[in-house]
Amino acid sequence: MNRTLTLSGVALIILALAPQIFPFLQFTLTIAIAKGFAALGVALLLRAGLISLGHAMYYAIGAYAAAFMAQKLGITDFAVIMIAATVISAFFGLVFGLFLVRYRAIFFAMLNLAVSMVIYSLASKLYGITGGTDGLRVAVPTIFGMELSKDAFDGVLYYVSIVLVVALGYLIHRYLKSPLGNALSAVHSNEVRLEYLGVSAWSSLLTAYTISAALAGVGGAIAALSIGHVLPEYAFWTESGHLVLTAVLGGIAGIAGPFLGSVFLELIHTIAVGFAAEAWNMIVGVALLVVIFFLPRGLFGLFERLSGQKATDGEPKL
Amino acid sequence: MAHRTSIKTLLAATALVTSASVAVAQDKPASLDVGVFTFMSGPAAAYGMPGRQGAEVVIDMINAAGGIDGVPISATFVDEGQGAEGVISEYRRLAEEPETDFMIAALSSGNCLALAPIADQMEMPTVGWNCDSHQLFADAEHPYFFRPNGNTIAEFMAYVIYFLDNNPDVERVAIINPDYSFGHDAAEIVKASLAAFKPEVEIVAELFPKLGSSTYQTEVSRLSAARPDVIFSNLWGGDLENFVRQAAPRGLFRQSQAVFALGESSMNNVDMPEGVIVGVLGDGWWRSPDAAELGAPEFAEAYQTKFEKAPVFPAMKMANAFMVMKAGYEKAIEANGGAWPTDEQLTAAMEGMTIDTLTGSMTFRADNDGIVDQVVGMVGSVEGIEGPVLTNMVRYDGDAVLPPEGEDPMAWIASLTPDFIAAMPKPGSYE
Repeated sequence: MNRTLTLSGVALIILALAPQIFPFLQFTLTIAIAKGFAALGVALLLRAGLISLGHAMYYAIGAYAAAFMAQKLGITDFAVIMIAATVISAFFGLVFGLFLVRYRAIFFAMLNLAVSMVIYSLASKLYGITGGTDGLRVAVPTIFGMELSKDAFDGVLYYVSIVLVVALGYLIHRYLKSPLGNALSAVHSNEVRLEYLGVSAWSSLLTAYTISAALAGVGGAIAALSIGHVLPEYAFWTESGHLVLTAVLGGIAGIAGPFLGSVFLELIHTIAVGFAAEAWNMIVGVALLVVIFFLPRGLFGLFERLSGQKATDGEPKL
Repeated sequence: MAHRTSIKTLLAATALVTSASVAVAQDKPASLDVGVFTFMSGPAAAYGMPGRQGAEVVIDMINAAGGIDGVPISATFVDEGQGAEGVISEYRRLAEEPETDFMIAALSSGNCLALAPIADQMEMPTVGWNCDSHQLFADAEHPYFFRPNGNTIAEFMAYVIYFLDNNPDVERVAIINPDYSFGHDAAEIVKASLAAFKPEVEIVAELFPKLGSSTYQTEVSRLSAARPDVIFSNLWGGDLENFVRQAAPRGLFRQSQAVFALGESSMNNVDMPEGVIVGVLGDGWWRSPDAAELGAPEFAEAYQTKFEKAPVFPAMKMANAFMVMKAGYEKAIEANGGAWPTDEQLTAAMEGMTIDTLTGSMTFRADNDGIVDQVVGMVGSVEGIEGPVLTNMVRYDGDAVLPPEGEDPMAWIASLTPDFIAAMPKPGSYE
């Protein structure tokens, strides 16, 4: 337990210091954290054995919500944008979740995919509102009335994201340990038994689905503010696939998994693109195969080995 | 138990990525390092690869002639096919490296829109080499972002002027454009221009097949049934070639005058009927009379030798972007008394600059948008030249077809009258 905490602490310190040593990493890592949030949302549902192939839509909804507030409504406060983007994604998660969580397995995956592609099409076709495929620009927000340069704001955004990883990570950790969170594994192992225990699988899943949408929304808002531009491709199905991959690659046994997967993927991507502009897709693919072959529990498996603990109790096999 | 981020992976990965943050020196560098952003994967590589090849050829040419003030150019190519996040992250990474001096980015308008504010923020002189969205400079100033290669308004309005001059009796027009901002923007511009120049023209079909469609049979049927006098399209690359292959056997081009705004880049790959109106979105036709005097044939010959095909207009646009960069440096060096310029001196020199590119003259306006002539012509053949060429050409003065700075482009088009066309040069006036 102590070693786990120390390891996590050291990892966070490295994360916090990395941009000081390699300034360009700040952007890459901000995006990695943003996608990590969305992948964490996917990982929550994976615990219940549900694969969402459409979670990029909540990432996109968070991003577009941030862009809309900044550009169309004139709301420029960082905190307001973050909170509102999260609430809006959660709201969409709740609405779509109402019917989506009735389905399981391939039907759940495909229906999520379908809804996400509707969102994608709307984002790319409603030219007057969403700017079409050219997207929307996101101005630099103010922080409690202070106007910052984009550079200074990026710094703030990065450290706020790290704080959010800790804070939201802790909350999700508590949630997973709560009866409501444990119900997710129960849905996966035996849904009928869960119902007989008097717990509604539907409402447990709806809660999880809404939370996972909110997490993706947080990620989307961070990405929008960091990139300064939102595009419909955020909601494209390949992005959703990327999120599932990130979650599985990182490992779904712990909160750190999706973030690990995300940081790993973003770094591999950056390195591959930097060194082999024409073969980057292949390098990323090979790296993924290596992880899948040698770390069947995801990168989180490495973490467990390092911290000397292996908690398989109460966790579904994928 | 709390599980959080692991160090090992992070450490190993961070160690792999190396860069240093040292202040940029103003000494003459050993080489001029340029980040070049283009599509090298996905369907847009149909344009991105000629761009990349054009860059390779023009770099060889400039370096063989002694580089820029004795400094050779060296390029790092970045694939835009990886999506906006990856493109931005690569741009930032390169811009943070002290060796990087200049950026030529990007092909896609979406990427240019995203990169322009970052260029300003990082104070990195950047030239957009292919993106042409008129939104780019519409609501923000970008002191570090320059676009020497054209603006959608001028590009598509030129075609309307051409086909109205060429087919004065046109009554029915159909539009078939790819389903993304580029296609929709072009449709708006064509419709607005027609409303201004010939309000009685009816738009009989407006089709937006999705980018990368493999079959156009439905669209061809719709177009045949609509019986338009003119079919305007800004389909490009594989899409355009597929469309032409499927539409030609069904007689669509015998029934209607086709206008392919980006046709020049495809006319060597697909059997495009003679008489189809095509162009190059700007002046980048390497066989044009102006280009012949400015060194484009030498470029084309080097390109032909290296890649065994003639350069299409994306290659010319890329080469011209390098010429603009070269001219900017030379002007700044001269202004600086022969010493290597800082980034501020470079952008100051580029502001309002007028230069001869490989295919014509280009002037930056105060908003850094370039004024480029528009060359439009028809597919035809000329004795002595193998393969199709542009005939019956016209060269519209770039200044005349570009909305005045600061004015809403659509409102400007609406304010034009048929007299505007009367004052324009006629098809065939430029040979």
